[in-house]
Amino acid sequence: MTSIAETASRLAGAASLNALLTPIAEVEASLTRQAERAPAGPLAGMPVAVKDNICTLEYTTSCGSRILEGFRSPFEATAITRLKSAGALIAGKTNCDEFAMGSSTEHSAFGRTLHPLDASRVPGGSSGGSAALVAAGAVPAALGSETGGSVRQPASFCGVVGIKPTYGRVSRYGLVAFGSSLDQIGVCGRTVSDAARVLAAISGRDPMDSTCEDRDPFQLPAPPENLQGFVIGIPKEYFPPDLDPGVRRACERVIKVLKDLGAAVRDVSLPHTPYAIPTYYIIAPAEASSNLARYDGVRYGPRFNGVPDVRALYQSTRGKGFGPEVRRRILVGTYVLSAGYYDAYYRRAQRMRALIAQDFRNVFDRGVDLLFTPSTPTPAFKAGEKMDDPVAMYLADIFTVTANLAGIPGITVPIGRVDGLPVGGQLLAPQFLEDEMLEAAFTLERAVPGTDEV
Amino acid sequence: MSWETVIGLETHVQLRTRSKMFCGCSTAFGAPPNTNVCPVCLGLPGALPTVNGFAIQLAVRAALALRCEVHLRSVFARKNYFYPDLPKGYQISQYEEPLATDGQLAYASPGRGAVSATIVRLHVEEDAGKSLHDRVPKSTAIDLNRSGVPLAEIVTGPDFRSPQEARAYLLALKEVLEYADISDCDMEKGSLRVDANVSVRQMGATALGTKTEVKNINSFAYVEKALTLERDRQIATLEAGGRIAQQTMLFDAKANAVRPQRSKEESKDYRYFPEPDLPPLVVPELWLAEERAALPELPAARRERFATHYGIPAQDAAVLVQSRTIADYFEATVAAGAEAKPAANWVMGEVLADAKDRAGTLRVTPERLARLIELVKDGTVSNPAAKQVFGAMAVNGHGDPRAVAERLGLIQVADAGALTGWVEEVIAGHPTEVARYRKGETKLLPFFVGQVMKVSKGKADPTRVPTLVKERLGG
Amino acid sequence: MSVSRQEVERIARLAELYVDDAALPALTDQMSRILDYVSQIAAVPGTETVQPFLPGPVALRFRDDEVRPVTLALSPAQIAPAFKDGFFLVPRLEAFDAGAAGGDDVE
Repeated sequence: MTSIAETASRLAGAASLNALLTPIAEVEASLTRQAERAPAGPLAGMPVAVKDNICTLEYTTSCGSRILEGFRSPFEATAITRLKSAGALIAGKTNCDEFAMGSSTEHSAFGRTLHPLDASRVPGGSSGGSAALVAAGAVPAALGSETGGSVRQPASFCGVVGIKPTYGRVSRYGLVAFGSSLDQIGVCGRTVSDAARVLAAISGRDPMDSTCEDRDPFQLPAPPENLQGFVIGIPKEYFPPDLDPGVRRACERVIKVLKDLGAAVRDVSLPHTPYAIPTYYIIAPAEASSNLARYDGVRYGPRFNGVPDVRALYQSTRGKGFGPEVRRRILVGTYVLSAGYYDAYYRRAQRMRALIAQDFRNVFDRGVDLLFTPSTPTPAFKAGEKMDDPVAMYLADIFTVTANLAGIPGITVPIGRVDGLPVGGQLLAPQFLEDEMLEAAFTLERAVPGTDEV
Repeated sequence: MSWETVIGLETHVQLRTRSKMFCGCSTAFGAPPNTNVCPVCLGLPGALPTVNGFAIQLAVRAALALRCEVHLRSVFARKNYFYPDLPKGYQISQYEEPLATDGQLAYASPGRGAVSATIVRLHVEEDAGKSLHDRVPKSTAIDLNRSGVPLAEIVTGPDFRSPQEARAYLLALKEVLEYADISDCDMEKGSLRVDANVSVRQMGATALGTKTEVKNINSFAYVEKALTLERDRQIATLEAGGRIAQQTMLFDAKANAVRPQRSKEESKDYRYFPEPDLPPLVVPELWLAEERAALPELPAARRERFATHYGIPAQDAAVLVQSRTIADYFEATVAAGAEAKPAANWVMGEVLADAKDRAGTLRVTPERLARLIELVKDGTVSNPAAKQVFGAMAVNGHGDPRAVAERLGLIQVADAGALTGWVEEVIAGHPTEVARYRKGETKLLPFFVGQVMKVSKGKADPTRVPTLVKERLGG
Repeated sequence: MSVSRQEVERIARLAELYVDDAALPALTDQMSRILDYVSQIAAVPGTETVQPFLPGPVALRFRDDEVRPVTLALSPAQIAPAFKDGFFLVPRLEAFDAGAAGGDDVE
């Protein structure tokens, strides 16, 4: 258990990353106040940083956006309440792509976050701040959020563990909505154990969220001796011919380890995988365009004065308050929902989604327990590299987005380095089988040297 | 040129729940502004909706009362548009898969007699807040207390052929919804709101004319006014060779006119899609059965039954059935032993009058009323005396009718001796009239009866007196 | 399947997003590329008939009809950009401006 002074010192050490949005002095003062009231519990004293799109009472919640700059939420997310009940201390808010829209944290209104090992590179996104802070050793765990891979992808880039739970496992009450049918709060952690313990603490039924399943909080499994009895599928669509050679090498090493640990490894196919990104980029923007309509300058946020009428109020608030990526997605989302296009786009995409979910069910129903894939197609790319072409940025999510569409859980663990840059390996499990996923993850973590050059 | 008016109505009814549709805030009317609010109905970042089960039950009950097909599985949908009193920038409603469809409501059309309106759909949704203009100078003031209150939207087909018909339907709808205890349907308080679609066409034409939407109708009286104005405007336009623009018209009560709403160039595109924050709405079979069983006998059926079963004239039945409490009271009185016709008269008369003075409370129990009616029937008290007894019982809220009558000295005297005595007294006291009667002016009989009643201080049995007088006078 | 400038303007109006004329061409181009890219799902067989998929519970859970006030750490007055006499304030709407579909409140 680290002292508050120690945490503050480590946060200071990571300051150049621009991962933490809250001033360190404010974090330290809050941690001290929180520690006075904090109960004993399974996370006793653990400092946990929180992505800026999750509502907290202790700090502002701005979602990386000017439109909520300085906003103090009058209520806190259920996940935050549960963290505190478990004894954890909330250690400030982390930087993210604006409203969680992005894969590099370059779309934050408060500057980009640097990759902890290479300042010229991105930490991934949208939960780049959380992943970077954990990777820098400032906190053992941080909450992020997933809509299309926004915890797993940055965790993979930064060389830490990232977990996305089953849709409905963790309450979304207090998570600022982006793509409602895709969003879940996820966890970045130094180790599988740290991340999983935090996940267990925040999971479970919540009457405030109608999409949260009526289940008990998730129980942590014990790490098994080996993987005897596990059948692990390797989906061919996730190992395309043009996969980064370094990533391929790291994954092949893992597959060998899986076999050595006693797992049966099988080739499988998820044939609709190529359509996952276009499907996602219809559904997520559509839901976002609706979820972001509430940012109108009427009830909270900044008000740009001197507007003559309500129309001008909306347009100046939203025009000035939203960045270009958010504006683009709202426009795409509005388009695909609009009269004449709804059937061809949004409705079609929700059907396509059923086919993608069916792919997973087909494989899991035929005796496969888990799937193993690369987490990302490449290691962390350079800042600015993908900012010109939105579609190029979208393709960074290619291996993560399917889990959000199907609602299944996924985890990334570090499986090596390529030219010094971390590579992540991903396990995907059927709905609500996080325990099997974690058993395999514990074992992999033990058996695969995560920081070795491959 | 002969014109036919075609009107369809869209009614929004507030369901009488304690808490809002999607959050636990109070729905109580009249609270200070923005005090019945929470993250959900304020549309704060991170808030999520949860569904009020009782609101759904009431909506199911309304659907059954309107003889709709209730869809056990329906889906909430977002209706997206911007307005300052719509906190999320969308309203959670239902679109492609509503709770109920294909119902009907019978009502009495002033022009066409007994007709049925088709209920195309009934769905549930949340209310928006209130926008108050000029409460604060140069601003519009927003109060979100009403944001999230549960509404049922009830849509008819283009069924009404006159503004009067539209009003008659609305009154019938209000009656049914009040009867089934779904809403208090108070247009002044805003718990019942109506928008109308109006078009005209030449008599005999089958195609519908271009319709306009008429909004801002705030009372039942205004319904007729507004629709008449719009109908007349459309006819005048067409007769002058113009065309009807499809637009929204607002009724301005002060100016007694309808004006076009200043609207955007494009027609509204609400971009409906299924609400991702809410799983499908599945009505438990048990609720359907419970609500069906809980449905009271509805007004039309009850009027019918009162007429046939109790032999009461139609217009009396209509008065008795207007309020479920009064109708129940009437039936309880009959069940306690009173005959239907006198019971009906008493309820329509004394009971209703007393209730009106007492904000609707019925102070005399049906059993006591039945006993009172029995006393009149067997001659123990006269009708006028009985009314006094009723009044006394109402004031005290209790009392056995006979005992009260005795205490007030109102027990009718049918004793032959006493009666004869009073008759003699009157005859002795009015020799002129007696002489005239004996000469043939038999129309003086009521005069003598009246005098006997007077001298007996109302105690004489008025049914026996005339016979006695006649005998005595030898007529 | 390109989208035109006029469409982009129409969509921006629907979304109450101001797009200035200088930015419009580049935005139109980007949107066209994005929409072209996502349109490819139209070619996939089966997407016309299979039931749409949403994860999460199969049916809604209902909440009891109890009044449960929520304590807000900050009141509406404290978070509002403009607030007076208990009300949120916006510039005065024209009395007959396009309004709510749940019944207008025109005073």
